[in-house]
Amino acid sequence: MSAVAAKPQAGGAMNPTAMGVGVVMLLILLGICWYISPVAGLSVLIGVIIGGVLIGFGTHFVPVGGAPAAMGQAPGIATGVAMLAAGAGLAGLFGGAWAAEQGVVVAVITGGVGGGLMMAITCMMVNFVYVFGMGIPSASGKVAKDPITGDTQAEYKSQGTEGHGLPFVSFVGGVIGGILGGAGGTLIYVELLGLYEQALPGVMNVTAAQVMPIAVSAAGMFAVGLFLVNAVLTAYNITGTIEGPHDPKFKRWPRSIVASAVASALCGLVAVLLVVPLPI
Amino acid sequence: MSVKVEVIEGGVPHNKILIAGVISTLVCIYLTYLNVLTGTEMFSFFGGIAVVAALIWGSHTIKVLCSYGIGTGVPSAGMIAFGSGVIAMMLATKFGILAPIVALVLAAIIGFILGYVSNNILNMKIPAMVQALTEMAVVGALSLMGFAALITGGFTFAGLTTGSISVMGMTLLTHQNSFLGGCLIAVAFLLGAIAIQHPFNATLGPGWKQDRMLMLTAECGFLSMIVAAIMSFALISAGSAIISLIVAIIGWAYTYQQYMVLSKRDAAAWLDSKPIPDVEGH
Repeated sequence: MSAVAAKPQAGGAMNPTAMGVGVVMLLILLGICWYISPVAGLSVLIGVIIGGVLIGFGTHFVPVGGAPAAMGQAPGIATGVAMLAAGAGLAGLFGGAWAAEQGVVVAVITGGVGGGLMMAITCMMVNFVYVFGMGIPSASGKVAKDPITGDTQAEYKSQGTEGHGLPFVSFVGGVIGGILGGAGGTLIYVELLGLYEQALPGVMNVTAAQVMPIAVSAAGMFAVGLFLVNAVLTAYNITGTIEGPHDPKFKRWPRSIVASAVASALCGLVAVLLVVPLPI
Repeated sequence: MSVKVEVIEGGVPHNKILIAGVISTLVCIYLTYLNVLTGTEMFSFFGGIAVVAALIWGSHTIKVLCSYGIGTGVPSAGMIAFGSGVIAMMLATKFGILAPIVALVLAAIIGFILGYVSNNILNMKIPAMVQALTEMAVVGALSLMGFAALITGGFTFAGLTTGSISVMGMTLLTHQNSFLGGCLIAVAFLLGAIAIQHPFNATLGPGWKQDRMLMLTAECGFLSMIVAAIMSFALISAGSAIISLIVAIIGWAYTYQQYMVLSKRDAAAWLDSKPIPDVEGH
């Protein structure tokens, strides 16, 4: 294989041994958390893991086109996986953060709506640019018929391309991905905020009102950090472009679930440790 | 399965940059502890030097990793570096004087596990993956700690959350006016994340030269340091902030000028043109 033809070939194969090691690592991390903080810490960590898994799973729905999409040679939004996941998740996180005081359910749903809205607007404007700006129709290269509308694709697909524009199924996938990512990011933020509001005053010897800026900022930064880690790991899983839920690469999601769970457990454990009194 | 697209030809070997990066970053962060020993804040600028040193090391690590086609773009590497680094750094600040060492160890553990996850569970199978992600988490954590030291004059949890430790009797009232409480850490996060991913993204290709990329990294680092030094006016005394600002501006001007020299050296030809040409008769 020449260097020019070299493409990232992570391949769709699962690695059962590594998946097993991942599950064991997850259990060990949960055990450590149970040992140091049995009640408050463990429930927060489980919330963080669920949030991280939602981000990792949701990102697979988002139609990511990368550089080929910018030239109209592949379907999807013309940027990378990490940027789109971070965009959708952070939009949802900011949407859900102001509702944090109204309980977990309201905040998470608000975050999901924020992320979904961001992706819906992005997908629509991207299609406007594709159709009216670049003059190309939307056609998928991976399937013969759109799984939702049943429209045939081959007639609209240009020769030598992998499809172009955003077919309906990709649009729907983008919105679903935005909802899941936004909800996951908000869940991480709300869980950590609750823990810090409760535990930081004792750790820092200050009142609850004084600790608010620290709690909000620390929970927000941990949420952003966790979000970026999960988004990039999912990007590594997808390697390049994906059209949406009908793409063959979508079948790789089990790997991403395990990877996101381990990464979220690890980073979430560190976030919980922030409020645990240290021996020194 | 991936094939290495580019090879490092000549230049300083990566391990040498790694060792020099770790040592100089740690030494510079610890030099800011002179603030505590001497009771002033004028040694804060060493934090900015630490950032530049860490970024130079980190951008070369990104070069090593992204020479394999990872298919996700170079910026994602900068994002995961700081995403995992900020988590390690925030916990490490609780360890007082040991904070930089703890940040290094903790970030290395996080980066190692993330590297294992992406290489084995996600089946990336890239030889440099585990080491590169380990290094980048450390770079992210130490750069953020350098920014913290530059902006607040210290790197301990109390210093980052109470901000104006130099104002007597005001410590309890100024949680909002601090590195963490005012969320200046978010700005520092992106200042570092952009500075670490830009150089390789900008210089990659067949004409890649190591010294040109590293000079661009230093330039980006000093540019970030200028912004961080301006932010430090809010939290440390004006005289100390001015020292940081002057160091940053001098460093930026020198590295920018050097980068232009190196760019002209590597270019096939160049034409010095005015930004807006004078058009006669209009």
